[in-house]
Amino acid sequence: MKKKIGVYICHCGGNISDYVDVEKVRQAVENEGGVFLSKTTMFACADSNQKDMVSDIKEKQLDGVVVASCSPKLHLLTFRGVAERAGLNKYNYVHANIREQVSWAHSDNKTGATEKAIHIVKAAIAKVRNAESLEPVKVQSTKAVAVVGAGVAGMRAAIELAEAGAEVFLIEREFFVGGRVSQWDDLCITDETGKELITRLYDRVMQHKHVTLFTGAEIVENKGSVGNFEIKVKVTPRHFKLQCSGGELQKAIDVCPVEVPDEFNFNITKRKAIYHNYPSEYPQLPAIDMKTCTRCGKCEAVCNAVDFSQKTEYLNIKVGSILLATGFDPYEPPKGEFGYGEIDNVITLPQFKRVIHYNDKRLIWQGKEVKNIAYIYCVGSRQLNGDNKYCSRYCCTSTIHTAITAKNKYKGIHNFHFNRGIRTYGKAEVRYDESSRLGDVYLQSFEYDPPVVEARDGQTFVKIKDVLTANKELEVAADLVVLVTGMVPRKDNSIAGLLKVPKGRDKFFNEIHMKLRPVETVIDGVTIAGASQGPKNIMESMNSALSAATKSFSLIDSGELALEPTVAVVNKEACEWCGKCDEACPYSAFEKVEKDGKMIAKVIPSVCKGCGMCLPVCPSNALELIGLSDHDVESMIDVLIEKDTV
Amino acid sequence: MQQENRKLNFDVLVVGGGIAGGESALNLANLGYKVLLVEKELSIGGKMILLSKVFPTLDCAACITTPKVSEIARHPNITIFTGAEAKNITKKGEHQFEAVVLKKPRYVVVEDCTGCQLCEEACPVSVTDEYQYGLAGRKAAFIPFSIASPRAAAIDIENCILCGACERACPTNCIDFTQTEEEVLVKIKSVVVATGFNLFDPLKIPRYNYGKAKNIITSMQMERQLAPTRPYNTILRPGDGKMPDNIAYVLCTGSRDKSIGNPICSQICCMYSIKQAQLLMGALPMADVTIYYLHIRAFGKGFNEFYAQAQDMGVEFVKGKVGKITEKENGNLMLRYEDIEAGVVKEAEHDMVVLSVGVLPNMEISESFKTEKLALDPFNFVNQSDVLASPAKTSIEGVFVAGTASGPMDIPDSILSGGAASAETTSYLRRASL
Repeated sequence: MKKKIGVYICHCGGNISDYVDVEKVRQAVENEGGVFLSKTTMFACADSNQKDMVSDIKEKQLDGVVVASCSPKLHLLTFRGVAERAGLNKYNYVHANIREQVSWAHSDNKTGATEKAIHIVKAAIAKVRNAESLEPVKVQSTKAVAVVGAGVAGMRAAIELAEAGAEVFLIEREFFVGGRVSQWDDLCITDETGKELITRLYDRVMQHKHVTLFTGAEIVENKGSVGNFEIKVKVTPRHFKLQCSGGELQKAIDVCPVEVPDEFNFNITKRKAIYHNYPSEYPQLPAIDMKTCTRCGKCEAVCNAVDFSQKTEYLNIKVGSILLATGFDPYEPPKGEFGYGEIDNVITLPQFKRVIHYNDKRLIWQGKEVKNIAYIYCVGSRQLNGDNKYCSRYCCTSTIHTAITAKNKYKGIHNFHFNRGIRTYGKAEVRYDESSRLGDVYLQSFEYDPPVVEARDGQTFVKIKDVLTANKELEVAADLVVLVTGMVPRKDNSIAGLLKVPKGRDKFFNEIHMKLRPVETVIDGVTIAGASQGPKNIMESMNSALSAATKSFSLIDSGELALEPTVAVVNKEACEWCGKCDEACPYSAFEKVEKDGKMIAKVIPSVCKGCGMCLPVCPSNALELIGLSDHDVESMIDVLIEKDTV
Repeated sequence: MQQENRKLNFDVLVVGGGIAGGESALNLANLGYKVLLVEKELSIGGKMILLSKVFPTLDCAACITTPKVSEIARHPNITIFTGAEAKNITKKGEHQFEAVVLKKPRYVVVEDCTGCQLCEEACPVSVTDEYQYGLAGRKAAFIPFSIASPRAAAIDIENCILCGACERACPTNCIDFTQTEEEVLVKIKSVVVATGFNLFDPLKIPRYNYGKAKNIITSMQMERQLAPTRPYNTILRPGDGKMPDNIAYVLCTGSRDKSIGNPICSQICCMYSIKQAQLLMGALPMADVTIYYLHIRAFGKGFNEFYAQAQDMGVEFVKGKVGKITEKENGNLMLRYEDIEAGVVKEAEHDMVVLSVGVLPNMEISESFKTEKLALDPFNFVNQSDVLASPAKTSIEGVFVAGTASGPMDIPDSILSGGAASAETTSYLRRASL
């Protein structure tokens, strides 16, 4: 039982004290059992107050500390740090939240808010009275990182991690690296092509002896946790031996009777079941798509490199951290959205980029030369009725860039941009300016009044009530309609479920804190990079990849991790393994073990997050949370249900 | 002036103690590198620590910045010089840089100052408070702001009358008028430039009458009025102390405007204006808020949803460029603007106008590099020499850029950019040790 507790009540510069009478709170708790000193402070988190707390703890030999301030999410670690610096075990610190739970929630009732604050602070005092010193759980960490996805973000992160000194396993689901960027020609900002950028990154990846690249590979199982993830990687064979001459390969492709839409070209062309995305795709070895291969054997007959005996392999790899850079899918409009799938000259922006790639002198679509191009923006983004409320960020700039490219490459192109307000943020603004000077026409509507695409008399028309000309109805006869499709999360994002990484409202992977911790997730040791976290352009993806690499690396660099000791423990006598705790646990922290002739549950401390989900489901009450025992909680409840004291 | 010369060794010099420089410094320090963080102002925390709340989470900026700031301030591997500038940075070879850091005297021994503010009370000199962006006054002996780090007094020697009142009032005798400017020679292996941005000065657009019409303020001034450490504890128009009930925002003030030499979009003004509008709806429930805009650039994670939320709350959005602002006798403002949707020029009256000022480059740092030139881009931000593959790289090998020093960006982008700079610095330093 503590006898010298220090209580600090924070004004939060008015955030609390505008609604809670902090002095009254102080007076109400100063005579609580064990309270030795009580103070109010303008900003408890400010350095000066922290200094005061350290000297209080040292000089007055406090044995327990309570700070009543904001959410523990913000400052629990700050004040635990104060305790530590003063030589007090940090688990003798208890945080009381009187801002989010009191002043902000009850700004309409100052007396009630003060009353509630008093109860919350008293409960914290009751808890700290029973607090015990605890030591962190130490785990060794493996100095290796699994990077999932070998697009620009994944490759860049892999290079940086390897340079910093980690062993890197780069795991790509496709048979070829480069992700989305390999599908683009000229990139925005620089004049480099996507292929050139991918080549640069791939060369560095392959040169680095500490990066192991797996293609056709995905993580199918995960055990363990931060410092020691034990992952199982499934590697699908490409059914090609390393040595393969160009001539033979071409013959093999020629004889293959299977034709399927080529996803690399967003289905505007067809490919065979034996394929490579383009002649210098990396790795420079074709693959056989076994989902569509009929095993007719014709390729084998003409090409010695074909090898159907290759088997799917499973590899067990141990890593300290996992970095997810799984990218995005372009939004696929449903049939009929702006005529997509119904009118044959309506295509998407990614398709249009591939069309430009394949047309050298003249822009031809479906056998006809294209002169007038209508771009319809925000398709699949900023939806009024659909789920995608967000802006896809890259598309305005990308469309304008593509429109300029088309205009420069072909003669007589007229670009008409049917937009919802151009968002060429930052330096991209100069592209918008450039396209306007080149004579591109901009027509605008809002979300609730989008343009309409119509086919009549063998022509396609795009009609709009144009905001920029005082809502005049304008119509353009377009040879080609390009739907500017936004970014959506990957269709198959099962890796998130496997690692228990949460997704946001927009279904992209969710970070811990949108502002200050954009690459870390609530799953310790799992970081997120690039467009898997939300729409980004290449530069932004690179920044996030490098940031995630730093965060992942700093977890594994020292070789040892100190984890929270506030985990669940099993009472061996009381437990009669029923498995309910295992079912309730969101982190798979339970093991079934034999102890003294019976099966019982065992908690893996490095996996347990101390969330407490297992406690209420245990029928024999055999579970307890360290640092938050039943006794602790009951003593807090006793105080909370006391009659009002003001 | 007497000069004292000291020599110090670090792994990395981080120039700028805002959120981007802080993120870089922390990442590097956590990996065991010794970092010197040089900050021109009297406190670290940059512009973010002075903000009200942040979009789109509406977290209180002070509340999420201070933990970061104290972590930086207390990190055993980080040394901080505030009120200091890296003046002369020369590259001697790969992984060998030297810098001359000019430490201006604070006239207060920071270690001894308890932040009791007795000197402030005693000081007879009142001047305009730059940390409240001119909205309030401060003394010549002053604590920069209540959540400053370090939270220690400083003497503004330009305005000090040397009366000695502060010295007499100070209980710990920490005021020391004998302090002099100090030049410290620093040897480092790498440099991170995180010198941030400047806000556009609306005096450069005379037709807006900022500085003459009393009830026109900048967005940063509104930011201060909305912050927890606000000067008035409510929203007031500076002209007469009246609570405004019809506030206008003029977007793109100093951005996307070739006539003042800044053709690019500042990337943050739309969102901070929408955020302020939402906060004003809370602080002044009866007030009308109108935002005059060209395009709303709500592009980041959760931004468009935040924009929609503002529309639902009743914030008025008018698509149109404001041409001219004039003051009426009662202090109200007349805005002449093009209403693009209606296709006509209109006038509207508001009782307070907020100019959403844009982001301009802070070019000073390029002058600090003496042997090799730190190249700037066409807009005078630090040039990113390999912007797609290595966004933190600059024209000088071993010098990396973080945050808004390389262009306009919001807080998460600054954090990511700060992280990228620390990652590249790490591998650069590692090459030195191999």
